[in-house]
Amino acid sequence: MADVATVAVAATDLASIQASQMGMKAIGAGLAVGLTGVGTGVAEMGIGAAAVGAIAENKDFFGLGLLFTVIPETIVIFGLVVGLLLLF
Amino acid sequence: MLKPRQMSRLLIAGSREQMAPVIADLYRHNLFHIEDYVDTGAEGYEGFKIGSPLPGASEKSADLIKIRAITNAISVQADDVEAKKTSPRLELKARIERELPLLEREVEDLTVRRSKLDTRVKECEQKILEISPFTNVPADMDLYHGYKRFMTFAGYIAREVTIPVPHEMYFSKGKEKNFIVAVVQTEHRSEVERILQEAGFQSVPVPEESGVPQERIEYYTDLISTLKGEIVEINKNLDAVRMKHTEFLVACEEFLKAEVDQTEAPLRFATTRQTFVAEGWVPGDMADAVMDSLVKVTGGKIYVTVLPTDLEHDEVPVEYNNPDFAKPAQMLMDVYSRPKYTEIDPTLMLAIVFPLFFGLILGDVGYGLILLVMCFGLRRMIKGEDGVMFLKVLRNASISSIIFGLLFSEFLGFELPWHPLIFSRHLLIGATEGGGEGPAIPALMIMSIWIGILHITLGRVLGMYNHAKQDHGDHRIKVVMANFGWLAVMWGLLVAIWSNVAMPYMPNLTGLPVVAAGFNLGTFIGAALILIGVACIARDSILEVIELPTIISHVLSYARLVAVGLSSVAIAMVVNYLSIGMFISPGLKSLSIVGIIMILVGIMIFLFGHALNVALGILGGGLHSIRLHYVEFFTKFYKGGGIKYVPFGMKRRFTEE
Repeated sequence: MADVATVAVAATDLASIQASQMGMKAIGAGLAVGLTGVGTGVAEMGIGAAAVGAIAENKDFFGLGLLFTVIPETIVIFGLVVGLLLLF
Repeated sequence: MLKPRQMSRLLIAGSREQMAPVIADLYRHNLFHIEDYVDTGAEGYEGFKIGSPLPGASEKSADLIKIRAITNAISVQADDVEAKKTSPRLELKARIERELPLLEREVEDLTVRRSKLDTRVKECEQKILEISPFTNVPADMDLYHGYKRFMTFAGYIAREVTIPVPHEMYFSKGKEKNFIVAVVQTEHRSEVERILQEAGFQSVPVPEESGVPQERIEYYTDLISTLKGEIVEINKNLDAVRMKHTEFLVACEEFLKAEVDQTEAPLRFATTRQTFVAEGWVPGDMADAVMDSLVKVTGGKIYVTVLPTDLEHDEVPVEYNNPDFAKPAQMLMDVYSRPKYTEIDPTLMLAIVFPLFFGLILGDVGYGLILLVMCFGLRRMIKGEDGVMFLKVLRNASISSIIFGLLFSEFLGFELPWHPLIFSRHLLIGATEGGGEGPAIPALMIMSIWIGILHITLGRVLGMYNHAKQDHGDHRIKVVMANFGWLAVMWGLLVAIWSNVAMPYMPNLTGLPVVAAGFNLGTFIGAALILIGVACIARDSILEVIELPTIISHVLSYARLVAVGLSSVAIAMVVNYLSIGMFISPGLKSLSIVGIIMILVGIMIFLFGHALNVALGILGGGLHSIRLHYVEFFTKFYKGGGIKYVPFGMKRRFTEE
């Protein structure tokens, strides 16, 4: 009897451990996307402001300004990739 | 294709009498890109001066300014006008002489009257503002002025005051400010002023009016509405003028602009007292036609020749040379920079790959159809050339989106009646998705990495080609080798990874024979490639070596094709689950009032959510696809900075030659 009870307890433990692991993964994925998003935002802040200023001076700068502004976007994409790999 | 249109450098020289016919003929061809003559005393140009305009230039410019004043006043823009018929030159000339002064007077009359009325309306409004504080005081406006021995104080005050001299005063308490009116003898002026100052007095001018304030305000309000009625009448008249004369005005503007352009062209030529010299560029295949035509109109009295092109020093204007389907993508190229004459023009590649990337990101039949309908709807409204180009780009992208939607089996986030034909992007969100295999994330990721590897490899190969063509001597070899080095490092890294880790959809080299230290042959080949690559890069520029990590970041950057796409799928599915799963289906189960409200809310969420996702889809799909080109692809080979080819002449829409 005691053995069966132990096995049952172990099984529920295992299930709860798995569930909590899944939760940890989800938290990790969320942190990955969220923090990299903040990072990208901070990086793009200065570039974007400067680019808009330059475009106001000279419209031809638009293409190059856009290019510079989106360069840090790679950071959040890395976050998204990590998040997706964690979850699936 | 892949090369700008070939240009020939043309030199035209002749006597001054031939200038007018030559200019007219060049303008008619609309092919000659004039190279402006700059008076720097260049070799062979000693004694030349910048030319002066042809006779009649100032009158024509004055006429053009008049026309533009009229078109501005009645807001007519040539871009918004459909070209129905073209007017012959002589008829237009006669009409300009006959009708333009009349029309100018009519429009000026109306606009002057309108601005006078506008001023009067403003004056009346000012009066009302001035009178309104006095409405609380039960006294006629006459009583405030016209005294010799008394003076009036009127204004806002913080608190009530007592004035210790003989006076007449009215105090009205307001919500925020109190209003005070006081009449005192002039000799007590300074004393009263001091008392009022202490109570925080703010003076208000007493309007020169007579009668009850309320009645005066009503009088001015009536006046304003009459004046506004007159303004509406004048606007109607201006509208009528616009209706009647739009075609004439746009034709006039075009005609006069052509005339002014031509009369001012000598300002860009080199001239002496008797002769002129014009240099410029024409497309290579048209050079003979232009030369023959010039000789013909002048009766052989000019000298025209094709000069040899010096690719090092000449600034050759660049005109795209692309098949029709790739033309819209030229707009995306111009946003970045026009290609140089000597480099590869990547428009064609952009035209093919951009829609593919867009489709990979926003692969959804529903969204594709919405975008397509939007394109055709906006097509009717937008008439400018850039706008039309943009819509064509969007149209191609949305067609690609529909095709990928069929492959991904997606319709507004729902699954179509078949399983995804390539990779599944269906997430397991909400009750609307029963079972399903879930998204094939690893496969999708590896697909995007492959796209990145191939795209970047193509970019580097093009970079080698461009440098081989543009550079010279020792430098050329170094730069080409550096580009090869970048390729070698990337592929070396890949071979090394494949030799150690088995991955789906990638070559498996783990089975190669082990050579030393537990590493197999592939690892050593990869390492060798990396070392050779780094050496090649360092030989060109040692500082470039610190850029090595960009190899990984640029390749991984292509993962956005999957990541951004999945986020759009996720939003669509969440919207579906929210609207259908949580509102509409429970509402349908119990068709009471609450049920109907729930259905309506569900429909609102559905519409709003998908509208938002379409907007995000255009932004995400478009911006990320173009960014992959601008940042990851173009930086490998493309410089840009070419001069736009602007032929002397115009596309006539409303006039004839």
